[in-house]
Amino acid sequence: MSLTSNTAHRLIAILVSPILFAGCSDRGDSSFVYSDRTLSLMNEAQTGFKDVKGVRELVDERFGNPQTLVAWQKLPVDFGGIACSVATTPDASAAVKSLQFEFAEGNSVPEKVSSLQFVTGACSGETAAVLKWDAATGTATLVSALQNAPAQGDQVTFDGGSTLKNGRMLYQRHCSHCHGTSGDGNGPTAQYLYPRPRDYRHGVFKFTSTNDTSKASRNDLTRIVKQGIPGTYMPSFLLLNDSDIHAIVEYVRFLAMRGEFERKTASSLASSFSRDAVTSRVKEGEKRAEIVEELKAFIGADLKDELGFISDELAETWSVAQTEEALVTPKIPRVADTIESRRRGRELYLSKTLNCANCHGISGRGDGPQTTDFEKNPVTNELYPEPGLHDVWDNLNQPRNLVYGIYRGGRRPIDLFARIHAGIKGSRMPSFKNVEHEDIWHIVNYVLSVPYEVEPGASASSQAAAPAAAAASL
Amino acid sequence: MKKFWALFFYFWPIVALYFCWIAPESNWWFPGEAMSPMGVRIESLFYLILWIVAIVFIGTQAALGYALWKSAARDEGQKAWYSHGSHSLELIWTIVPAFVLVFIALYQMDVWAEYRVQSFYPDSTREEGSVAELAARQFEWRIRYPAPGKKLSDEPESDDLYWVNELHVPTGRPVKINLRTQDVQHAFFSPQLRLKQDAVPGLIIPVWFEIPEAGEYDIVCAELCGWGHYKMRAKIVAESEAAYKAYLNRLQDEQNEDGYKAAEEETN
Amino acid sequence: MATVSPALHGHDHADSHAHGHHDIGFIRKYVFSTDHKVIGIQFLITTMLMLMVGGALALAVRWQLAFPWENMPILGKIFAGEGGQISPEFYTMLFTMHASVMIFLVIIPILAGAFGNFLIPLQIGADDMAFPVLNMLSYWFMWPAMACFGISFVAGGVTAGPANGWTSYPLLSALVQAAPGSGAAQTWWLIGLTLVGVSSMMGSVNYMTTIINMRAPGMTLFRMPLTIWSMFITAILQAFALPVLTAAGFMLVTDRLLGTVFFIPAGIIVNNAEPTVGGGQPLLWQHLFWFYSHPAVYIMLLPAMGMVSDMLSCMCRKPVFGYKPMVYSMAAIAGLGFIVWGHHMFTSGMNPALGMTFMTSTMMIALPSAIKTFNWIGTIWDGNVKFNAVMLNCAAFVALFIVGGLSGIFMAAVPVDIYFHDTYFIVAHFHYVLFGATLFGVFAGIQFWFPKMFGRLMNDRVAKVHFVLTFIGMNGTFFPMHLLGIAGMPRRYADPYLHPYLEHLLPMNQLMTISAIIMGAAQFLLLGNFFLSILFGEKCGRNPWGANGLEWSAPSPPGHGNFDVPPVCYRGPYEYSSPEAEAMNQDFILQTSPPPAGVSKSTSAHH
Repeated sequence: MSLTSNTAHRLIAILVSPILFAGCSDRGDSSFVYSDRTLSLMNEAQTGFKDVKGVRELVDERFGNPQTLVAWQKLPVDFGGIACSVATTPDASAAVKSLQFEFAEGNSVPEKVSSLQFVTGACSGETAAVLKWDAATGTATLVSALQNAPAQGDQVTFDGGSTLKNGRMLYQRHCSHCHGTSGDGNGPTAQYLYPRPRDYRHGVFKFTSTNDTSKASRNDLTRIVKQGIPGTYMPSFLLLNDSDIHAIVEYVRFLAMRGEFERKTASSLASSFSRDAVTSRVKEGEKRAEIVEELKAFIGADLKDELGFISDELAETWSVAQTEEALVTPKIPRVADTIESRRRGRELYLSKTLNCANCHGISGRGDGPQTTDFEKNPVTNELYPEPGLHDVWDNLNQPRNLVYGIYRGGRRPIDLFARIHAGIKGSRMPSFKNVEHEDIWHIVNYVLSVPYEVEPGASASSQAAAPAAAAASL
Repeated sequence: MKKFWALFFYFWPIVALYFCWIAPESNWWFPGEAMSPMGVRIESLFYLILWIVAIVFIGTQAALGYALWKSAARDEGQKAWYSHGSHSLELIWTIVPAFVLVFIALYQMDVWAEYRVQSFYPDSTREEGSVAELAARQFEWRIRYPAPGKKLSDEPESDDLYWVNELHVPTGRPVKINLRTQDVQHAFFSPQLRLKQDAVPGLIIPVWFEIPEAGEYDIVCAELCGWGHYKMRAKIVAESEAAYKAYLNRLQDEQNEDGYKAAEEETN
Repeated sequence: MATVSPALHGHDHADSHAHGHHDIGFIRKYVFSTDHKVIGIQFLITTMLMLMVGGALALAVRWQLAFPWENMPILGKIFAGEGGQISPEFYTMLFTMHASVMIFLVIIPILAGAFGNFLIPLQIGADDMAFPVLNMLSYWFMWPAMACFGISFVAGGVTAGPANGWTSYPLLSALVQAAPGSGAAQTWWLIGLTLVGVSSMMGSVNYMTTIINMRAPGMTLFRMPLTIWSMFITAILQAFALPVLTAAGFMLVTDRLLGTVFFIPAGIIVNNAEPTVGGGQPLLWQHLFWFYSHPAVYIMLLPAMGMVSDMLSCMCRKPVFGYKPMVYSMAAIAGLGFIVWGHHMFTSGMNPALGMTFMTSTMMIALPSAIKTFNWIGTIWDGNVKFNAVMLNCAAFVALFIVGGLSGIFMAAVPVDIYFHDTYFIVAHFHYVLFGATLFGVFAGIQFWFPKMFGRLMNDRVAKVHFVLTFIGMNGTFFPMHLLGIAGMPRRYADPYLHPYLEHLLPMNQLMTISAIIMGAAQFLLLGNFFLSILFGEKCGRNPWGANGLEWSAPSPPGHGNFDVPPVCYRGPYEYSSPEAEAMNQDFILQTSPPPAGVSKSTSAHH
């Protein structure tokens, strides 16, 4: 955030320092934190060896840190920047300080350019600072001459990573105090919120328009950022402009992918090289030095392939979420919202096969029998300390009270349809994708009527409707 | 040195006045013109008080400065004026300010009555009812409109339309909204309209305003509502009657979206 | 000092003084002392230290406003979650605690506690307070109060504390789940508030009794210095208003802890907790709170007004202009002060007809303030002004009180207040009153009565530097707040620049923060001057200023029991440059000095 010019800032810092006994550093000097799973590995697995990289470095070289973000081109993230190519091969005899570029059709010529990165050609990988940019001729004058001479057709990105950087800055300002710098849902404010802010690192987002096995799409995240999640502390950021929201969404996806990558990488080592595993292996008679050698060999050979799979899968799943096929699409339009339909919906809701009432309760108050049972943590196999349903983040996550008329994932019929069809990812709300779409619509019609009349057609009895309506107004 | 101190007390009000003088052109003043008739009247009352206050400020600071200057300039050893006060002066500076203050108070009653006393609200707003419910919550503004053609009821109805942080109203006529809160106390504040009203838990407070010109106007929260108090950024979109109706219809379509994509039909 | 001829030792004098002279241990003498002077000095030093705490909190607030989300020096490192960036709820706690510390632990106790204690018996010629033990307790109740406030800093976790503003409006303050981390913290805060109230209440009962019953012979009501009048009126205000706040605070505590619902309406869901059962009304708190806290504004101002009147008169060598109008206007402020609380609630949604009533009464309360201002200028007029630090601080008091008073008129006018309510305009207004007026009055008072407390003078040169820096820093910090308010910047925003219409105000906020840092730094001069002068200040006699009050006829510092000669009061306190004094070839005449034979009593009597 360049709210202050640097010099003014320094000046003030100098003024301030003798009084507060401390200067100030750039905003957000924090770095990404590693997940518990990474930290549970034996030290060598985390830090690696002289010529073999550990998990920390493997993650960092692909994703960087808030101040030094890395645009890992494999990821389906819009890192920002404008693609173009070198228009004419410059005279190789002199040091290259000025270059002309051409833009593919449809790409607008930027007004301002501050840096350019060579993607292909002799200078591939180099970044050059731009002194002057002439938009009319497409000529950039560089601050310092290039080492190698680029040739015509070399691919170049202007201001690469600008979206990601902008996203980081906006994220730090608007999001990080809840969601945390690393997107671990553990910012300073997070501890007071119920439900807890999303921890992106599982790569799981609850309210999506995609089917049960797909990731969240950009549209899903954009919708959440714009409209907030009613009933939680996630507010609406509707008035941020679209490019800012886009930048935030890309940064959140970036963080999610980082978390997922780290998680999976660490997981592939965890079974043999976590601290606990090493302790028990040593107990069983293995020597620690041998385990370290084994680790070294594993990272050097097997993990390389593993990393390839992990990154391919990462790129694949996040890309697929953007496709039309990933969307939940009803085969038939919404069934007319009649009393009969609602009654049918209620029957299905109470039926043994769907068993919605088991969690949501007979009258939809989110008080089904399941909510008072003690659940087992699927990972540790221990009982959770409090009764009720828990999500994959191990937070208590009780079923929605449908009487309030608050729909976290949106109140449009399609939203409710998708909730039922695809389930709520990461939570105990399962996918009902095998249910007939017509039946899903009946349930949607019933659920939408619950705040106004718990028993379809029973609105004449004011008993049921009155408290429901009162609650719905909350 | 004595004179320096006397000048010191002369000097700073001049600096203060100078800053006030250059404030409007330096953009340290109202956020644009008042965009509602009520706001225009509030602003004119502000300027009335500002002039009165400016005169009093200059007068009293000048008197203070002069009193200090006078004694700084006097000869060493000259005796102070032995006086316990003046009855007539006391009377003058009691009665004159009293009149001014009572005048200010009485002069302002009308605007206040029209803004807040419901029997003074424009007739049309009472007949029409409220066009929308603006419900504050931590930390956003939830908006509920009645379905097109219906009146807003205090409690939600199944065909109500919902949106967040963007309140659409028609221009050119007084409109009333129901202000309420879903959790703690908030305050509806639109700086461009110059209007403010707290949203109190448990109460529905009708607020009316008129926006003559189409445009977008800020809504912010002006009552501490928790850690995210500053985040409650929303806007009023004032638009022509036709555009407003079209917006509500659009909102209704969007809200009934069922995601079904028949070959011949393109929803969205 | 020709007229002052008391014996140096008081041992031989009236029996009433005898109790002050038996040997008592160090603890009884200086720690759990029942001597009003020791208690007053204890109050003074405690509150001066608290002033620095409150100031540090203010600087942290200013830091965030000037450099939003930048790493905060020191505080950021200690409290922030990640890096040095503070979190929004931490910011909320910062301004809440800044206000709480400044109001409840600095301004109120420094005026009533420090100066009230020290000056009342001395100025009315009593040997101590009416209830010395009660007096001691009133000081020692400050400590649990401070402890509670201190606990509330940490009780909510590292980054959060009481986060409801010092006004603590429900529901935010009533529902534990509404304000992050304020659970136990807010409750501790409320208990602290109650203890401050207990302390103040003990003080005010004591002051009223002392002033009514223990005046020296001849000290008629209209011979009392205005300081005493102001303390008397303040004590009355406190005694009648405080129980309301205490009760309200208790109701809020029970709402939080015992499930009463005085302030909580039905069916509210916050942070996904169970819906509230309800039946209460949040506006009730606002009425009760402001029923105390509006008079409290005058509790925070009136004593300073009285003290400044005393000091101005002395430093201008001239009687107070319009003594009785001064007294009556203070009484009027106190009386009207009880019926103006609603002007804090113009936009709250209370019955709009009340808005009109409260507007009228509020406009009327401006009148006595105006009268006082005119009288102060009248006091300076044609005086023989001594331009020392005391005088400069007093003049600043008048100059800045004018600003604070005038800006109040905008908000007294209901329609204009619709716009200005809860913007920075109100922040500017009350800082001009509380800092501009009260604190400058306090600075003057510290330097003026310092010789009486310690028998030494404070360094005038350092005090002047302190004055100039504070004055400039103060105006640089608070004057632009008026403009921020006009620009529509709401108060209590951690990041106002999120709103495009406020973005351009950042440079102004940075300027204000620099001013605030200068102002804060200047207070080290005050502390240094104060503590070093206790040890190294120039020694002085009983009456270094040539003032008239009874306190100046006692030794500096006065011993236990105060007066070595039981004082008898012969005239009003402001007979500077009177013919009577001139007859003695001086420009002051002590209240104790008997009229020379042949001069009829009527000439010296106050008209």
